Amino acid sequence: MIMRILNRDKSGTAEDSTTMLSQLPKTDDDTGSNSIALAVKGLSKIYDSIAGKVVALDNINFIVKKGEFLSIVGPSGSGKSTLLNMIGALDRPTSGHVFINGIDIFSLNDSQLATMRNNHIGFVFQSFNLINRTTVLKNVKLPSTIAGAPVSESNKRAMRILEALGIGDKASQKPFNLSGGQQQRVAIARSLVNNPTIVLADEPTGNLDTKTGDDVFEMLKTLSHKFKRTIVMVTHNPELAESTDRSILIKDGRVERDVVN
Amino acid sequence: MRPADIFSLSFDALIDRKVRTVLTVLMVVLGSSLVVVLNGLSAGQAEFLASQFSALAANVIYVGSGQHSYHGSSSPASIIINNAVVQKIRTLPNIETVIPEYSGSVQLDSQGETQHVSVTAMDPTQLTVMLPNLQYVNGSTVEPNDRSSALVGDTIANPPGATSPFVVLGQTIKLTDSYTSTSGKSATEVKNYIVSGIMQPSGNTRIDSSIIISLDAGNQLLHKSTKYDQLVVAASSPDDVDAVQQELVEEYGPTLGISTPQSIMAVTQKATSGNAAFTLMVGIIALVVGAVGIVTTLYNSVTERIREIGTMKAIGAQNTDILQLFIVEAALIGIIGASLGLIIGMGAGYILSIFTTTNVQGSGEVHIPPVYIPTDLLKVWALSVTLSLAAGIYPAWKASRLSPMVALRRE
Repeated sequence: MIMRILNRDKSGTAEDSTTMLSQLPKTDDDTGSNSIALAVKGLSKIYDSIAGKVVALDNINFIVKKGEFLSIVGPSGSGKSTLLNMIGALDRPTSGHVFINGIDIFSLNDSQLATMRNNHIGFVFQSFNLINRTTVLKNVKLPSTIAGAPVSESNKRAMRILEALGIGDKASQKPFNLSGGQQQRVAIARSLVNNPTIVLADEPTGNLDTKTGDDVFEMLKTLSHKFKRTIVMVTHNPELAESTDRSILIKDGRVERDVVN
Repeated sequence: MRPADIFSLSFDALIDRKVRTVLTVLMVVLGSSLVVVLNGLSAGQAEFLASQFSALAANVIYVGSGQHSYHGSSSPASIIINNAVVQKIRTLPNIETVIPEYSGSVQLDSQGETQHVSVTAMDPTQLTVMLPNLQYVNGSTVEPNDRSSALVGDTIANPPGATSPFVVLGQTIKLTDSYTSTSGKSATEVKNYIVSGIMQPSGNTRIDSSIIISLDAGNQLLHKSTKYDQLVVAASSPDDVDAVQQELVEEYGPTLGISTPQSIMAVTQKATSGNAAFTLMVGIIALVVGAVGIVTTLYNSVTERIREIGTMKAIGAQNTDILQLFIVEAALIGIIGASLGLIIGMGAGYILSIFTTTNVQGSGEVHIPPVYIPTDLLKVWALSVTLSLAAGIYPAWKASRLSPMVALRRE
């Protein structure tokens, strides 16, 4: 059931958004290859502070293949969230490049970056970041609403994903009436609605109890392994990191280790 | 984003903060309704005055002592208006007739009760020169040489709120005038008159609040010694009024107070226009206060929803989408507030006019209904919505410029 529903989605937004972004600049190297979802090249971020310059990221390089489930681990302040913000086009680096689906995202202007986030990136936040005043269905379809999709198509797509994630019956409820696990499922559904190239999850189990956290993690694994979704997850939990396809350990803004699990 | 989606999200946001939204809308409602009420009442007052003056003959000039001038300048010593003056004015060109009048305040006894009323002594058959549409509730006019009959205004005969008439046709009324005799002593003159006619309200407050008696009867009652208080000079046609007025000024200079219904109306309209402008300013200040309320509400809304704005930007909302969301919220507040303000303002104007209906001595119940001009209402509505939109621009712009990363970090 879940496979059938999500496979059906594959014919949706991704192709449309690819067409929309076809005029955007592409990389001239192998990052344009069909097998690579994400490429990070020489990424650095230096902040100016009262104490002086703070190097948050220092020459980060890695690639993520399509369908790969990558975890980024590291101690607090190591720079893993900064890295996720860069990959998610929420912040610009001091130097370096991020290619998503072959597109050098930092060569885009702010408006094009917003379109990029809408069409190619799905976000799952630690604290869910749902809009509590409106229904689960409206939350899930928000990215497609922003994309300007017709209401009927947005509704259909959002409902299919909600049903696939087992919370179709919660569509008309407000998020604050749901459990933490259910809210995170809603957030995952929202991240998938535009069928993005990559899903970025920032401590997705951090606000959940162990059992619920495991359920949510299993859901992400299923999305990656069975439905070939590319997922990059930031986590503190080494056990979860070991259960992903590959782990990158970030320390002091550098890649300390890149391990295939 | 599609406009319908922007509208839907903005509407949801307003509904989510019901109390604050209602209070902000209320501020706009108060501002716009205040402007509507004040505008409507001012327009009603202007129309009422115009209708009152339109009841007066357009070819009539009122000539009195200099102190009665409506031209605003203080007059020097006035001349005594006697028969010589009357005869002299009658010889001027373009004059149809000159009606001399005495006037005074007397005590009226009727039905065992007493009232103080005005009395005007003149040729009663000439009343129609001043009041072309004069009608009688009962009876008819008094002949010029009739010293024992009187005409009574309907509002004196049938006082507003009284269950029975104070004066009826055919009854005898007693008028008492208190005056100072030539020897300097206080004295009274008492005369009885038979009521031969009761006049309908004419719009001329002075006549409506008077008892009319013949000139001779007035001279006896008021001890005027043929010194008239006022002349009603009727020009041959309304077009001749200016020429006659000019001739009177040339002949008597500022010793005579000269006024016409048009000049009185012009002065009155000027005063009411100034009053209307002042009240309109008060209303606009209230609207601006409402706009400040919108700024406060939306600014707080932006502050409270920073994480939401960050989330929306993270999932792809453009700056223009966020800008439009908040602008539409401001517009909705403005449109709802202005529309309700118009309806409530119009209703309040009617209610206020009912509560402010007053009994004017001699003129009866005066009710001035508000007048609402559609183009004025549209302007108030547009002004309210525009102010609301203007008030929403800064918070909306601030929201749209937020960095998604900074917004997401905010607790």
